[in-house]
Amino acid sequence: MAIPIVPQLLRAHLAELAENDERHDGRARWESRDTELEIGILRNAEGSAKVRMGDTIVYAGVKFQIMTPYPDRPNQGGLMCTAEIRPVAGRNWEPGPPSPESIELGRVVDRGIRESGCIDVDNLCIIPGEKAWQVILDLFAISDDGNLFDAFALAGIAALKSAMLPEVRFEMSDSDRPLPVSKIPTMCSYHKVGGRFVYDADGREELGGDERIHITLGDDGHVHSLQKGLKGIFTESEFSEIMEHAQSRCKELREMVLNAEEAG
Amino acid sequence: MGGYGDVQMIDENGVRVDGRGPGDLRPVSIETGVIPVADGSARVIWGTNHAVAAVYGPMECHPRKIQRQDRAVLDVRYNMAPFSTPDRMRPGFNRRSREISKVTADALESVVLLEMYPRCKIRVEIEILCAEAGTRCVGLTAASVALAHAGIPMTDMVVSVASGKINGVVVCDLNKEEDNYGEADLPMGILPNSGELVFLQLDGDLSPAEFQEAWDYNMEAAMVVHQIMVDALKGGDA
Repeated sequence: MAIPIVPQLLRAHLAELAENDERHDGRARWESRDTELEIGILRNAEGSAKVRMGDTIVYAGVKFQIMTPYPDRPNQGGLMCTAEIRPVAGRNWEPGPPSPESIELGRVVDRGIRESGCIDVDNLCIIPGEKAWQVILDLFAISDDGNLFDAFALAGIAALKSAMLPEVRFEMSDSDRPLPVSKIPTMCSYHKVGGRFVYDADGREELGGDERIHITLGDDGHVHSLQKGLKGIFTESEFSEIMEHAQSRCKELREMVLNAEEAG
Repeated sequence: MGGYGDVQMIDENGVRVDGRGPGDLRPVSIETGVIPVADGSARVIWGTNHAVAAVYGPMECHPRKIQRQDRAVLDVRYNMAPFSTPDRMRPGFNRRSREISKVTADALESVVLLEMYPRCKIRVEIEILCAEAGTRCVGLTAASVALAHAGIPMTDMVVSVASGKINGVVVCDLNKEEDNYGEADLPMGILPNSGELVFLQLDGDLSPAEFQEAWDYNMEAAMVVHQIMVDALKGGDA
């Protein structure tokens, strides 16, 4: 990504608003943008989802490949998660090899899903030590107006939840079966803007803000991944404040995944 | 193409595998403004093809060495999402996508009034999210709508359609099976207001009469698609 010029005026404006506990788009500190989730829109993916959060739009697609199990885990399949932010997503994104930003994105989302244990990798083994399913989750942003992390995490788990193992196409059985996904980990991200943390920052708040913290919580409220990004310092009390919000917001996001309906 | 002539894809009544007649297009729908952060954007759903295009600019031309003193440069990229095909596509450019990016840029450079923006760059990004034959045509059509949506001056929009031959019969708008097992594929980029061409490819085997028939199918189909493009632009954003 081209390093955008950080507009000092924008920073000052956001800081001024923060003094009165306001945000530039009129949202409250813990308020999210309108969030929409659609699943099953792309026919060639075995599972797919589209998430729209304000002007941020991302897709997630699940594909399967046959892999040789890792020698130390002969009875398990695998999960691979990649994030791509193509230059289509904004004027600052450039073509070329994956940027550090998009690698961080993919890895943080990957950890949340992997560590929650939501995918039963033992169930993906076909012939122990020889053949197993590899689940590939590709995250693809087409419009970046901030907080790609949460959008990717939501689209990712929704796509996995709706994915079907293509056993017919691979001539392994007469019918496809759903990918076993037992839990729904969801992510909440917080950015420090004008000296205090806010939820679901948009592009301007990311540009004129400081550090960010990403929290992935599982079904039972357990933490599965954390990531602090960018330059900045935060305190224990700030962290417990956002953790408290994440506990309630992650439940709402989980409901959204459970209630997502297949597109027509 | 090649060697699969024994796959039956059209019956004696001229009904194709997906139920269309020889001259029928797949269903096409177009929306504008689908990428809110872009200066112009469009989504084209054409059969099960699903393409989005975004336009950024005119903007400062970077790197400087590609800048032109007398006109803008058009930076066109065609890319397929990893989940767009039945077998996963490895991310990144390949020879095919580079060629399609180039011919798409060549087509669009013929209509965009580049001399109005000296020293600038206009970026056109085409992303195929779901592919089912004819993605270069769908991408070029989407890019034209996105350029118009961005308010970039053009002499005309490019409408792109491919016709071809299956089991010896010339048909309009090939689908996946027809593209894979057919005998010819003729994609064209047509300027609907003048009937001129800015993009032409062919692979396969066509007699002069068959070639003319495929050409005529493309011309007719382009007029139909052009109307959908105009309606989308007039209808306002999604």
